[in-house]
Amino acid sequence: MSNDPITLEIIQNSLQATADEMFAAMRKTAMSSIIYEVLDMGTGITDAKGRIASSGAGIPAFIGVLDKSVQAIIAKHDDIRAGDVFITNDPWYGGVTHLNDLVLAMPVFLDGHLIAWTANIAHNSDVGGMAPGSLSGEATEIFQEGLRLPAVKIIKEGETDQAVMDIITCNSRMPDFLLGDVWAAIASVRIGARRLEDMAKKYGTATFVHAMSSFMDFGEETAKAELARMPHGSFELSEEQDDGRVYHVKVTINADEFIVDLRNNPDQDVGPTNTSRDGAVVCCQMVFKSLTDPDTPANDGSFRPLKVLTREGSVFHAQEPAAIGFYFETEVRVYDLVWRCLAPHIAERLPAGHFSSICGTFLGGIHPDTGRQYTIIEPQLGGWGAWEGRDGNPCIFSGFHGETFNTPAEISEARNGLYVDRMELNTEPGGEGQFNGGRGLVLEYRIRTESGFLTAAYTRSKIKPWALEGAEEGSGNYFEVIKPEGTERHSFVTGLSLTTNDVVRVVSSCGAGYGDPKKRDPEAVLLDIKNGFLSKEKARLIHGIGG
Amino acid sequence: MKRKIEMVKTVRVATDVGGTFTDLVAFESGPDGMRITTAKTDTTPPDFEQGVLNVLAKGNVDPAGVDFLAHGTTVVINALTERKGVKVGLITTEGFRDTLEIARGNRPDFFNLHYIKPTPFVPRFLRAEVPGRMTYKGQERAALDLSGLPAILDGFLNEGVEAVAISLLHSYANTSHEEAVLAEVRRLWPGVSAVASHQITREWREYERSNTTVLSAFVQPVAARYLGKLDEGLKNRGLRQSPYIMQSNCGVDSLAAASAVPITMVESGPASGFWGAAELGKLINEPNILALDIGGTTAKCSLIEGGEVRIMTDYWIERSRKSAGYPIMVPVVDMVEIGNGGGSIAWVDDFGKLHVGPQSAGAVPGPAAYGKGGTESTTTDANLLLGRINRDYFCGGEVTADMAATEAALTAVGDKLGVDMREAAQGIIRIANNNMVNALKLVSLNRGFDTRDFTLLAFGGGGGMHAVALGQELQVKKVVVPAAASVFSAWGMMMSDLRRDFFVTKLANMDTGAGVRIEEVFASAEAQARKTFTAEGVAQSQLSFMRYGKFRYQNQEHTTEVLIEGEITDAKLDKIVEDFHTTYEREYTYRLEAPVEMVGIHLVARAEVGKLTMTPAPLGDADASPAHKGTRDVDYALEGTHNANIFQGEKLAPGMEFDGPAIIEDSGATIVIHPDNRVSVDAFQNIHIEIGSADK
Repeated sequence: MSNDPITLEIIQNSLQATADEMFAAMRKTAMSSIIYEVLDMGTGITDAKGRIASSGAGIPAFIGVLDKSVQAIIAKHDDIRAGDVFITNDPWYGGVTHLNDLVLAMPVFLDGHLIAWTANIAHNSDVGGMAPGSLSGEATEIFQEGLRLPAVKIIKEGETDQAVMDIITCNSRMPDFLLGDVWAAIASVRIGARRLEDMAKKYGTATFVHAMSSFMDFGEETAKAELARMPHGSFELSEEQDDGRVYHVKVTINADEFIVDLRNNPDQDVGPTNTSRDGAVVCCQMVFKSLTDPDTPANDGSFRPLKVLTREGSVFHAQEPAAIGFYFETEVRVYDLVWRCLAPHIAERLPAGHFSSICGTFLGGIHPDTGRQYTIIEPQLGGWGAWEGRDGNPCIFSGFHGETFNTPAEISEARNGLYVDRMELNTEPGGEGQFNGGRGLVLEYRIRTESGFLTAAYTRSKIKPWALEGAEEGSGNYFEVIKPEGTERHSFVTGLSLTTNDVVRVVSSCGAGYGDPKKRDPEAVLLDIKNGFLSKEKARLIHGIGG
Repeated sequence: MKRKIEMVKTVRVATDVGGTFTDLVAFESGPDGMRITTAKTDTTPPDFEQGVLNVLAKGNVDPAGVDFLAHGTTVVINALTERKGVKVGLITTEGFRDTLEIARGNRPDFFNLHYIKPTPFVPRFLRAEVPGRMTYKGQERAALDLSGLPAILDGFLNEGVEAVAISLLHSYANTSHEEAVLAEVRRLWPGVSAVASHQITREWREYERSNTTVLSAFVQPVAARYLGKLDEGLKNRGLRQSPYIMQSNCGVDSLAAASAVPITMVESGPASGFWGAAELGKLINEPNILALDIGGTTAKCSLIEGGEVRIMTDYWIERSRKSAGYPIMVPVVDMVEIGNGGGSIAWVDDFGKLHVGPQSAGAVPGPAAYGKGGTESTTTDANLLLGRINRDYFCGGEVTADMAATEAALTAVGDKLGVDMREAAQGIIRIANNNMVNALKLVSLNRGFDTRDFTLLAFGGGGGMHAVALGQELQVKKVVVPAAASVFSAWGMMMSDLRRDFFVTKLANMDTGAGVRIEEVFASAEAQARKTFTAEGVAQSQLSFMRYGKFRYQNQEHTTEVLIEGEITDAKLDKIVEDFHTTYEREYTYRLEAPVEMVGIHLVARAEVGKLTMTPAPLGDADASPAHKGTRDVDYALEGTHNANIFQGEKLAPGMEFDGPAIIEDSGATIVIHPDNRVSVDAFQNIHIEIGSADK
């Protein structure tokens, strides 16, 4: 076995390159726009025990998922063989998120020994269940949210299990999309497995395995070094939610540990806004990584100092068979809760609150030109919070998403057969400070055919993005449905009917500000006015500037 | 061509303006063979054209005697990265004024909560809207209303705008609204620099197209001024026809066309090298080439299959793992670039990990060995210490290597790693090589190409230093380092055609009648190409076309290009679809039964304009001893230290052969030949290195 640091570094770089290659392969071949355009997907490599060693680009919220999936597969199966591919989507079988997210995982063997796993997760457009797109705010049990795949083999030693494949496609309203996406995922894990085999052959299995574990140790060291530089103690926060419930968190930081206590929280929801314990852990991992080491890729070691305490049966640790379709809004609340709890104490590491919702928007209907069914599944862009010395970013994806792309209006109009009347910055007041929050988004869809539907779930609508150091809070996320008979404002609907010429107007929040608005640089205020973000009256009122 | 028959002597000149130096290579071909002259002078900002005139003078090239002058310049990329363009006003469709600022919303540096989104090149108050809409099919949905235009232009004028960009929704499908806005802008504001998106690209995605248009407007006055002065300066000195300008698509274009839409020059530097690689591949019967260009600060690579470079429109500047960057939707040679060159700095992070690049020591202070005060160790320093570069013949003998500085810099790196300076140097070489191997894999293995079917062609100042190690790792067929590798890009420019790439988005199913519809799209693009070329005096007979269709399975997004031969009819559709399946399966390991659709076309139009013809020299004696100049110990990192034979590059003649371990050095570059390698010199003086085939 080689312990030469250069060899280990080279193996680590190659693992990263492999995870990226798996990502690129999936992206280019997927059928659903949620995968290839929005990139609601992730790829990763774990060691033989399912500990994450490297992950591809994509979205941070998926990085901590794949190790948990692989570990669940290992726990369930004792006949793992070369050429096998497993599939899971169920949070009680390592699926972590919701049933739409299919995880494909492949064991990598060399000379008969299991040396690693490659895995891939992606949001599939429809996996059955009570509503098109599989997500319904009406669901009260996971059985209503689609087909449950409890960590089963889909390919046995290279041979596709057609029975499993048929069951999966037969349960989808969009079987062609699903089949294309599953094959894209299989191609991705296979390409990764081939690269890892070559790597292990070249450097020797022992060196290959050692490289992975040594980088995990390195990740742990990095995290601990940063923990030492943070304020130690316990920090608590209670925050009211849009629906009136109150969430609590207590974070304890010491030299070796970062403990997030989420036990004191409401019982699980009867509806689908719950998350699995694994899901809550993933959110804490994301904040932890951003706090300790945002620069280097994450692996198992990066998260070792983190402990998450949850109470089974609570909204952050739902019991089977709870509905979990809209888990992402619950997860993003955990993420923001920890962030907000610590921001006043570590402001140099944490900006003010961002729009902090996935703003998941699901629109469907019949394409008027092709007659085919279309489904839009998209998170929205929104405004980010300011920090000392800088205004927040306008219109980027939430902290949950990363290398995620919005859909161009030109492509949306062609693909979905609706009109995008406008896509522009949200100029509503909100987020003013010495440094302003970034602008949210206004996006208008005009429906071109009858029998369309809208499902959407936004949080941070009433309880708005939180400011720091005396600035104004953000403006809030919502959407409007504009019909001839009137305009309705919502933040949560399921299966709302839409017809020709109805307009769905998405408005995402401006980020929160940082610092006293009266201290804003007058030049910056004048530029805000010139850019149409601020009226002269408001400039006088809020910033005390102008005539 | 006529000229060849009439003239006894033909002089072709390539000039290339780089960040530090302006290069010249002149090829004089006559009855008694070819003479190559090179010269180098300092680049002369901001009057870059002066440097070109200087280098011609230094090389004793009289512009009056030049038959064909090709010119490559970094003026566009510099203006962009240094933000030294003009103030731009943007006119766009009502409801889409913020497209430029919304961009795509991605956050590549996703754990970084202080990520900074790239700032748009046009601020909001200079982004104006006009009512009027097209559909994605190119039908008018709402009439264009230009009544607000005078007020918009007055506003621009008051704000000091010097160039107007126009980008309307769905203009790729129907250009008439954009044409109307452009005409009205020109009528209301005669003389202003103005450009509409359809003049640059006919592809969809409004952010990418708008940003491309804005960036083109941003650099247009700067580039046009530069090219104008260059043309004038050269013509005043007797040049008979305007220079041709190197483009990012591996072709050259007329000076007039480049001045109108200069953004297509953005990556002209690397393009000429990769084109040279393709042309050289044809010359030496190696149509499948992995091309690698290692310079001072970066290494760039590209894959050439069947003699064809791959041209794409998915190009971004300033994009990295840390930033979303800015898209430029123009035809650019498909390449991967990494911050790994001869001047790349080696550093050790807080956790004892060794890295190489992307920071570079540049020309000043340069590697520690330059003795100009550089204290940081670079790849070049590591190569010197290991004996790979000759410390007594550094930079062709022009610089005395400051070995004390090199050793101090490497010792400092070693101290942080807990190893001695030699091990530090070996580590630097291995990390640098690994970075480059990963880049080469991105353009080859990651796209389903087997590197064993390819020849690695390495050029640029640092190409030969690393090529064999990389070639061994990738198990390529063989490694070739071209003659005069350090000025290879200039040679590539001499081999370029007048070339334009037309990308047009057009959705089409592959059902009955599709043949005619698809043929119509190509025919229309070809007619447009003929028109523009003819207007510039290019004869129809000189023109040739290549047609690529961009296909995908229905519902997918990304497309795969398929070459289509000849006129398209329904009878040909089956073959086209089968070609798509095959190409797709090679790249992605599987195929589907799903319906296939066309998303657009890529038409390549080209005409030969005074290309260089290479004549092989007769192969001489295999004995290489006339070029042998001694031996020295060379550390091969992974293969240990060997006493290597040293050859003087300029003295190697066609037909010579020898075995590794060896070093070939000339004034511009060093080639490291590993043990077990066998070297032969071909009829064009290129160095061929067979891996693992030396006589034992």
